[in-house]
Amino acid sequence: MKILVCIKPVPDPESFIVIDDSQNWIIPSDLFKMNRFDESALEEALSIRDRYKSVGLDVLSVGPENSKDVIRRALGMGADAGIHIFCDAEGYISPFLTASCIASYIKESFYDLIFTGAMSEDYMQGQVGRLAAEMTGLPCVSFVVKQEISPDQKSIYVEREMDGGLIESFELTLPALLTIQGGINKPRYPSLSNVLRANRAEIRTINSDLIGKTDPKQINSRLTIPEKRRDGYVLSGSVQEKAAKLIRILSQKAFIT
Amino acid sequence: MRKPDRKLIFIIAEHLENKAKSVVFELAACADKIKKFCPAEIKVIILGKETENLSFEITHTTGLDTVAIEINELALYNAEIYKTVINNLAEEFSPSFIIIGHTPRGLDFASGLAVRMKAVCITGVEGVSEAGGKIWFRRQMFYGKINAHITADSEPVIVTVQPGTFEPYKPDNASPGRTETRRIECAPQFTRAKGIRRCKFQDSSISEAKVIVSAGNGIGAKENLDLIYRLADIFPGSTVGGSRILIDRGWLEYRQQIGLTGAQVAPELYIACGISGASQHLAGMRGSGFIVSINKDPGAAIFNESDVCVVEDLNKFIPVFIEEYGKKTDP
Repeated sequence: MKILVCIKPVPDPESFIVIDDSQNWIIPSDLFKMNRFDESALEEALSIRDRYKSVGLDVLSVGPENSKDVIRRALGMGADAGIHIFCDAEGYISPFLTASCIASYIKESFYDLIFTGAMSEDYMQGQVGRLAAEMTGLPCVSFVVKQEISPDQKSIYVEREMDGGLIESFELTLPALLTIQGGINKPRYPSLSNVLRANRAEIRTINSDLIGKTDPKQINSRLTIPEKRRDGYVLSGSVQEKAAKLIRILSQKAFIT
Repeated sequence: MRKPDRKLIFIIAEHLENKAKSVVFELAACADKIKKFCPAEIKVIILGKETENLSFEITHTTGLDTVAIEINELALYNAEIYKTVINNLAEEFSPSFIIIGHTPRGLDFASGLAVRMKAVCITGVEGVSEAGGKIWFRRQMFYGKINAHITADSEPVIVTVQPGTFEPYKPDNASPGRTETRRIECAPQFTRAKGIRRCKFQDSSISEAKVIVSAGNGIGAKENLDLIYRLADIFPGSTVGGSRILIDRGWLEYRQQIGLTGAQVAPELYIACGISGASQHLAGMRGSGFIVSINKDPGAAIFNESDVCVVEDLNKFIPVFIEEYGKKTDP
């Protein structure tokens, strides 16, 4: 059985996000980490491999050069091989483009299971996995919180989280694509032996121009800083002064006595 | 028949246990907003095994037309059937916009449907506007720090709408629209729905609190939750809540989760500690009376929703706050 996990780097949540002069995109941040949802997807795949030793586990990332860093981290966590579909877009890479790169790779290399994160932390679109599934004709369930492969390895039972604490369950014929909810497991840390192997590992690089792409629909976007919806009075001074000011405000409002 | 100069908007109704989910009326509000910018007709599409009650509820609440498709295999939701049936309806009616909830279920089929229909797909929409003769959709990016305004160059456009961002469309004197019901056969190929169950239970205690002190990813370590509880102790009628990530980690219980997949609250005072302010969380607390936010990241989106902003590391600020408060009450 072969599993593919799709991963991507995202800017650190606390990094400073600046809109560029064109107002179409941001000035790239240089602090990156692996998308939290993808980490959960990878951990879920690794846990399958822990159970079935013969499982092959590859990771794939579509994007600029820094995608290689998250691929190496995934190899350090225990993935067997990394594939980088290099896409030299300075700015925004649409989910259609990413998904079509993934889809053309899947079509030429057979996998029984494909995992993606349910969404990325930065764009928060929740599209790539579902688009890639449709482009390759695979069944797909999103926001998966639990999975179990059938003993004959021909199907998979999955549970998916809905709003309000409800769980929906499905059985899918393999091959299938699952998008994994964040936080459902504790992603392991890279092990020293794997990190050493990861540093030496050859990452297969494919240029995105060389693989089939569906025509991404044209969209135009403009970025702005969100408007303040409330006063947003910013307290100034030392920590003590800010604390004293907040106490004064909350007392005036009679929240504290 | 639709007039040739009018566009058509589909709303896909999400439902559970034969009742429309509240997001349906928010989707209707989004459709109504689009209609203000370009003349359009709206049809609510309902897919299910039995739809009579749903059609009645939706058309009587909104006054909108409904088209219900009854399919025996849809006793439980199935993405394959949804994509096939909506795609067929779209071929028949040629809608310009298809509006779907930005919910786990809506997202489950929206993008796949877009591939099938060769449509543009814009997810997580929180606002609609018009400029230069085009409809623009607003959505968050980068942890809520940036708004993206997006317009499509082609139709159809599939839009998923973030729950909690549009005021539900329930006109006072809605006269019911036309309802149409069809029964068809449609069987899934690879996906078998197995069931639906409740796994987490909510109680209402958090919604009744006067003051909620709420923790997010910024608290760093589980031990720091103690600070949050100590801060809450200062306020009469208070309780502790948190954003989803802390519930995922098992640091707080599900009944304490505030946001889209947790509780929607509106206390008199909400103190957000180390919460970034992604829309999923905001949807659960935006209605609070007075909002104080403590976050060391000056760019955190939560500050846009706050009455008072404290740009500090909460692990430094809260102990000082508690100490200063102690000095004041116990001189």
